Amino acid sequence: MNTTLPVLTGIGSVTPYGPLTGLIPPEFMEPLEPGVITAWTTPGVRRAFLVEPFRPAAIVPGLKTRRLDRLSAWALVASSLALQDAGFDLNLIDRSRVAVFFATGFGCVELTEAFFQSADTNGWAGTDPITFPETLHNAPASHVALFHDLRGPNVTLSSKNFAAESALLQAASLLRHGQADLAVVLAGDTLTQAVYEWYEAAHLLAPACFSNEPMPSAAGFIPGEGVVAMVLEPAGRQTARSYAALGAGCWAAGGDARSSVRKLLGDVRLDFVLCAGNGAPCAASPLTCSARDLVGEGTILPAQAVATGMGEAGALLHLLLALSKRPGHGQALLLGRSAHGGYAALRLELF
Amino acid sequence: MIDAQKNIVVTGIGVISPYGIGLSSLQAGMLAGQCCLKPATELYPGFAGTVAAVGALPSLAEGHRYSRTDRMAMAAARDAVADFDGPASDLRESGIVMASTVGGLSEIDAEISRGPAAWYRHGGLSRAASYSVSRVAASVGEHLGIEGPACAVSVACASGAMAIALAANLLLDEAAPMVLAGGSDALCLFTLSGFNSLQALDPEPCRPFDQNRKGLNIGEGAAVLVLETVARATRRGARILAVLRGWAMTNDASHPTAPHKDGLGLACCIQRAMEMAGCGIEEVGYVNAHGTGTPLNDIAETHAYESAFHGRSRPIPVSSTKSYFGHCLGAAGALEAAITITAMQAGALFPTLRLTDPIESSQVDWLRGELRRQPLPVAMSVSAGFGGSNAALVFGRPRA
Repeated sequence: MNTTLPVLTGIGSVTPYGPLTGLIPPEFMEPLEPGVITAWTTPGVRRAFLVEPFRPAAIVPGLKTRRLDRLSAWALVASSLALQDAGFDLNLIDRSRVAVFFATGFGCVELTEAFFQSADTNGWAGTDPITFPETLHNAPASHVALFHDLRGPNVTLSSKNFAAESALLQAASLLRHGQADLAVVLAGDTLTQAVYEWYEAAHLLAPACFSNEPMPSAAGFIPGEGVVAMVLEPAGRQTARSYAALGAGCWAAGGDARSSVRKLLGDVRLDFVLCAGNGAPCAASPLTCSARDLVGEGTILPAQAVATGMGEAGALLHLLLALSKRPGHGQALLLGRSAHGGYAALRLELF
Repeated sequence: MIDAQKNIVVTGIGVISPYGIGLSSLQAGMLAGQCCLKPATELYPGFAGTVAAVGALPSLAEGHRYSRTDRMAMAAARDAVADFDGPASDLRESGIVMASTVGGLSEIDAEISRGPAAWYRHGGLSRAASYSVSRVAASVGEHLGIEGPACAVSVACASGAMAIALAANLLLDEAAPMVLAGGSDALCLFTLSGFNSLQALDPEPCRPFDQNRKGLNIGEGAAVLVLETVARATRRGARILAVLRGWAMTNDASHPTAPHKDGLGLACCIQRAMEMAGCGIEEVGYVNAHGTGTPLNDIAETHAYESAFHGRSRPIPVSSTKSYFGHCLGAAGALEAAITITAMQAGALFPTLRLTDPIESSQVDWLRGELRRQPLPVAMSVSAGFGGSNAALVFGRPRA
């Protein structure tokens, strides 16, 4: 084990698998089927990977989420579960040196739509002052900071195809440069009518969204939602159980992916390639081919449709699924590619 | 402190502001004390306020899939690299970190809420494609043919300064040879209405740090800084405009919208940025403040300066340049970084306009009235935002 690398010591998630602490249990690991959308009226059957409603306070006692949208509520639940999984006593650490990174594609789109609705109903002069601040992209991350009293860097970012990878890499960078002692990295999105219907109008959806056609399909994707949180810290805490150590990584909007990945790997011989299928349309099989083409070795753990559905915020769920499924220890590469030539790669040592 | 070879320097600045295109127009306007804030009554029925708008944007020959925020970002980025004469591969492999809070919101009509599918069918599909703030960074990349790591930062009004801080970290990591970092935000009914609903807007031109301040004015604009290591900049003979000596980011964790009443998070942020810069409280010659003009922000910020610069032999000179062209939200931190560098270059400390009755503080030297001329080796730009986020950047003049 390389003791200089940041390690992943806690995981919490709110996904179509439900709210979970740590890895996804084996009994949940059957390929998930998309559920039928009932939250709004659809012109026929429409399906997606949806988070079933639950009461956040039943998972995290004391949590008050009445005024929050689902994204902020899920971020609070996932971060709480991740910190609990990491086994921290937050009272014993300097919380002004705990960073929060949140990766999202659309941010608080539910309340953004609600704000537009208030404008449509009452005019722009009659919009809702309670809703407005909660429409900001950084609302979930700031609620996480507020709830846990985390006073370090608090960053919300978005990156075409690779927001989650970018957040993971930048959080690790903060730890390496001594700008934080601990980082909670979150990635997620919620699915709303406006988002779903945009995908549909843009012809990006897989046939499985409309019928019981088998998945996966290369002809589109199945939208999903959820939030995954991971705790990163420098190696060395005696009581910590580590899932993986994070090595070097890169992400780019284009260019020579093969050469960059080769440079990143150096002499490392890979045992696993964890595919993160980002962007739409995207499916497991072309990505698996591309991983083989880029890396050439190691057991490939293909991208899962449920995580691909989360688009640019999906990489943490891809990583969680791969960690839950992996057959052993070893050197791994989390690899994402976009339909437009972009790529993201992150070296990991799996424990 | 940072390894000397990895010192981060600014080698290009591009600006789109209510003064026009380019840093020189911003500099000339501000040195002349020109205020761009204008009354606006026709933005929507019931709105009577003051805003600062950017005039005509340069033609970019691209279609409607770019939002106004995207187009300002692209124009500012093009301006920032206009003098770049280094290897083409350096530019192609550059990183991009762009801040925005509005993104493509300005392209979406409230009617979308009656039925998104119908709105998309009637022309909304391509307009909504620019919604994600990640488009701001992607648009800059597409426009300039840049293929390196790209992301957008959206941390309310601290976004622009955070984009610069994160870009500096990318350079420390050697993730890219250069990084274009900045922010862009357009005037938008959504945000104007939101701030108006919060009763945070001053209907008159704002008066930051004045005891009679009533709120903020919204502006629009974009600024992009070209950042690289001093080693690379020196090697290619680039003109160094400033050194980014230190940066820090913190969160108040005290309230979803209001700042910590004593400015504790911001004070900690300022101290950490100075620590990274390796400079003491006496060295900082000027602070370009966040200074929105809202009652809560300005008093909390004053307390932050009193705490962070406590023990300084002379009061710390502070001004808010939002009094010139309003609060440009996600672009504010980047525009104010550009202004801070301009202040160092010109040896000019910009006064806060309309500051007649400043908040009482024995430890803050409120800049007001006439422009103050003095050498300025080290200056700081400070930003804060909803959600309790804070960012501070310390700039130094390059060695001659």
